[in-house]
Amino acid sequence: MKNVLIIALREAKRFKSRFRGGSRVLILTILAISLLISYFVAQSGLTLSKGVYTIGASPYGPTIDDSRFNVIIMDNMTGYGQLGDGSIDAYVDVNTVISRSDQRSKYAVGALKQYLEKSELSRITEEYDIDRAYPLRVETHYLNVSPAGAIPVGGSLSDLIGPTVEPVTSTPQPSQQASVNPTPTSIVAPAPTKTSDGTDAAVREQVDQAMNGTQPRFKAQFVSENETIIPSLMNPPMPLSQIILAFLYIVPIFFISVFFTSSFMDEKTNRRLNILMSAPVSALDIIAGKMLPYFSFALVVIVTVTLVLNGNLPLSLAIFIPVVLFIFAIYLMVALFYRTYKDQTFFSMAAITFITGYLVFPALFADVNSLSYISPLTLAVQMYRGESFSILEYVFSTLPMYFVFLIGMYVGVRIFNEEYLMGYGPLYRKSGDAIYLSINRRHVYMSVFLLSVFLIPIVFMVELIILALATNIQQMFVMIVVLLFFCAMVEEIAKSSGIVMLLENGDVSSYRKVLVLSFISALGFWLGEKALLALSLSIMPGSALLNAMSGTADTTASPIILLVLLLLPLAAHFVFTSTVCVSTKKLGARWYFAAVMAGTLIHTLYNVYSMHSMGAF
Amino acid sequence: MGAALWTIVDKEIRAIGKEKTIVLAIVIQLVIASLSSVILIGLMSFYDPSTIGQNSNIHLNIGIVGDSSSDLIKELRAAHMRTTFYTSPDSAQGDFAAGKLDAVIYVPPDSNGVTDMKLFLPQSDTKTTVILMVLKEPLKKYENYLRSLNGVGVKYTDLAGSSSTTYEFLYSFIVPMLMLFPAFIAGSIVIDTLSEEFENKTIETLLSAPVTLNDMIGGKLTAASFIAIVQCILWPALLLFNHIYIQNLILVLIMAGLISIFVSAGSALIALYFKDRERSQFVYSIVIITVASLSYLIEPSPIGLITRLATGAPDVGVMNVALYVIPVAIMLALIFLNTKRLAAMKA
Repeated sequence: MKNVLIIALREAKRFKSRFRGGSRVLILTILAISLLISYFVAQSGLTLSKGVYTIGASPYGPTIDDSRFNVIIMDNMTGYGQLGDGSIDAYVDVNTVISRSDQRSKYAVGALKQYLEKSELSRITEEYDIDRAYPLRVETHYLNVSPAGAIPVGGSLSDLIGPTVEPVTSTPQPSQQASVNPTPTSIVAPAPTKTSDGTDAAVREQVDQAMNGTQPRFKAQFVSENETIIPSLMNPPMPLSQIILAFLYIVPIFFISVFFTSSFMDEKTNRRLNILMSAPVSALDIIAGKMLPYFSFALVVIVTVTLVLNGNLPLSLAIFIPVVLFIFAIYLMVALFYRTYKDQTFFSMAAITFITGYLVFPALFADVNSLSYISPLTLAVQMYRGESFSILEYVFSTLPMYFVFLIGMYVGVRIFNEEYLMGYGPLYRKSGDAIYLSINRRHVYMSVFLLSVFLIPIVFMVELIILALATNIQQMFVMIVVLLFFCAMVEEIAKSSGIVMLLENGDVSSYRKVLVLSFISALGFWLGEKALLALSLSIMPGSALLNAMSGTADTTASPIILLVLLLLPLAAHFVFTSTVCVSTKKLGARWYFAAVMAGTLIHTLYNVYSMHSMGAF
Repeated sequence: MGAALWTIVDKEIRAIGKEKTIVLAIVIQLVIASLSSVILIGLMSFYDPSTIGQNSNIHLNIGIVGDSSSDLIKELRAAHMRTTFYTSPDSAQGDFAAGKLDAVIYVPPDSNGVTDMKLFLPQSDTKTTVILMVLKEPLKKYENYLRSLNGVGVKYTDLAGSSSTTYEFLYSFIVPMLMLFPAFIAGSIVIDTLSEEFENKTIETLLSAPVTLNDMIGGKLTAASFIAIVQCILWPALLLFNHIYIQNLILVLIMAGLISIFVSAGSALIALYFKDRERSQFVYSIVIITVASLSYLIEPSPIGLITRLATGAPDVGVMNVALYVIPVAIMLALIFLNTKRLAAMKA
């Protein structure tokens, strides 16, 4: 602990020395100016699509005040003429909008429609009383659908996670529902009323929100229990503003972590790291010590941002500390992996893309789907909406962060030696060496098992990226095959990498041992895969995904068939992995790529076949 | 400037090609573009009702209780929903519980005045969101009908345009991002190679050879901009493959090239002054964010100009692009006239 503090102090000094004299003033000035400018630009309302459409407008028509439109006032004869020769995209007349038939003009009208709808609403709100302007109010109620519904729960998923509720015969049981479910279970036709004071308050509130552009009152769901909807004012709360708030935390943390990686690079260049490594301190001391000052900076950022935003401090710390650790762990990998300056730049960019994607993408769907809890930013969004979340959801979103941090620290400590850090080999070589160094050679079986388990989250994320890339392919069948192929390849590399590194370094020599290790690796992967599936299902019961996945369920399967269905993937994983590993052993590590291809090919064929038999195509 | 410059250009491009990390950069751009379109599709399906209502094949089964001759039923059918009329709420309840219905609506008779409708939905977050989104358009039409009964006329209700969200997103985010990201990378490359020379002290050896400081910087700038422009040419080809067409392609590419040169020259200024990677990259990232947001105050802004050119907007053309040559020329003059002074400064 003392060593950590000494190194932390040394690191803080090094960092300070970077910013002294004239450069400190200059950098602080640049920082202040940029903050000021960002603030003003944000205040003036930044629209990306400024002036995309050029439109003509009748002098008697509505005023169009939207930066997307470049408006030219002209009478309708000129308007028609200019529309014809393409100088304007659409012409707004007193009562209608005139357009051409080409795409560009159609999009302009689409955008105008969106805008004019809103301006018409504000016009009728001003001109008429609220009962005439908003005559329709829809009161929503939520009813429990019994498991006997059109979407049966169970099926192939129950095949995987064990026996679930048998579908009961489809008889509605209203009396039973009433006792368990507080929401109304019978539909009562109320006597129609001419005016409705009960809903007027709700209408006023929603009109106010829509017209003044204030953020809608945030709700636990798109609409909460028994809420009144006004169709023309119906808009789900998009969590954009809270995401921007979350960025106020993330961006400074990014900058801090860049300094954290630079620190390693700086000391690698001037060879001070070698001196540090020869001192009687452990690798963990050095990494933790170097991380500590930047971690403290990050804490200061979290506290400051929270205080400025007037947020809940303990809750913000609880949400963002795991995020900071996660980001630092990834940047630690960047720092230890890179070979040249340009490497570091590109690795950092990759890290930023990956981290932002992982954190922001799910949070955009806060309140829409429970799977959004995979990102802690969802919690931050909810916190700034004044909503609550359960401890289970907190654990679900932050546990992976700690997990990544611990793995990052473990790998960091294992590979923290001079030879590795200063080495300049190709990237696959560096990754392979990192895996080899992470394996504890005294517990080879356990290591290979754990490696398979721990690589699953990484495999999962890489597969998500492959999925995103594959969506660029227009043809459905080609897309699925390409997706399956590359996913199989990633999985085969993940399962075999440890064994192949052991083979290459001569730690494993017999075919029997290769086969046993392949089985253990397959077992670890299979267990982790199923555990991940079970976990994601438990966090989002009854969601559409589950329904979709169990769509083709055969609920009458006998337990033996269930067992076979469960064990078949394990056997398949074993076959693929041993194919890769045995052929690598036979042909030598130089042919590893070919061996992976062989395994991938069998894997893909198996997947295509099983998808085909499931009726996917 | 001459042979020496081209030697440096060649050396830099080879170095980048050898490291292969540029491949990573291209993959990153692809991932950003693909991910953001996936995000957009996801967002639209949840937040933009009109697209999902029009484009999806969601056929809802709606149970109606109350007024069987209501105009709402017409609207629901026009939106491809199956409606079933129930005389008693109990039978609707039964079918709803059995899962035969996605939602049940109680419709009071049409009247002038306020209509209080009741909507019964299943308790499943995602499904409910989708049902509400699909119901929104017919409900809005019915609302306008009720308004007309009240003597409230709403104009512009029957505009036929296509939903512009994807179009705007594509041309005002994806296309500029693909055109600017290479410039951003070029700036980073210039900082990396320059500060590497300073920190490894190789700059003295280089300058003792018959190479001037201007040669060296010119070479690095040319190499970085060249790589950026190659990437910029790559993206429209890829977009073409996905049936996305960029209008005024040459002007868009010239604009992207000008931006890359401007950014690389600016980053060379920063790196020459600070001489180490740590501070240069930090200042560079901050300055580039600031300049990008500042540029929005110009009309048309560089990013806005790319968007408008790419969509084929009628009001922009060669002249707008030509104007942007001026700041680039100033930036280049600034750096080449001051290289020695900047390099000599201690920061």
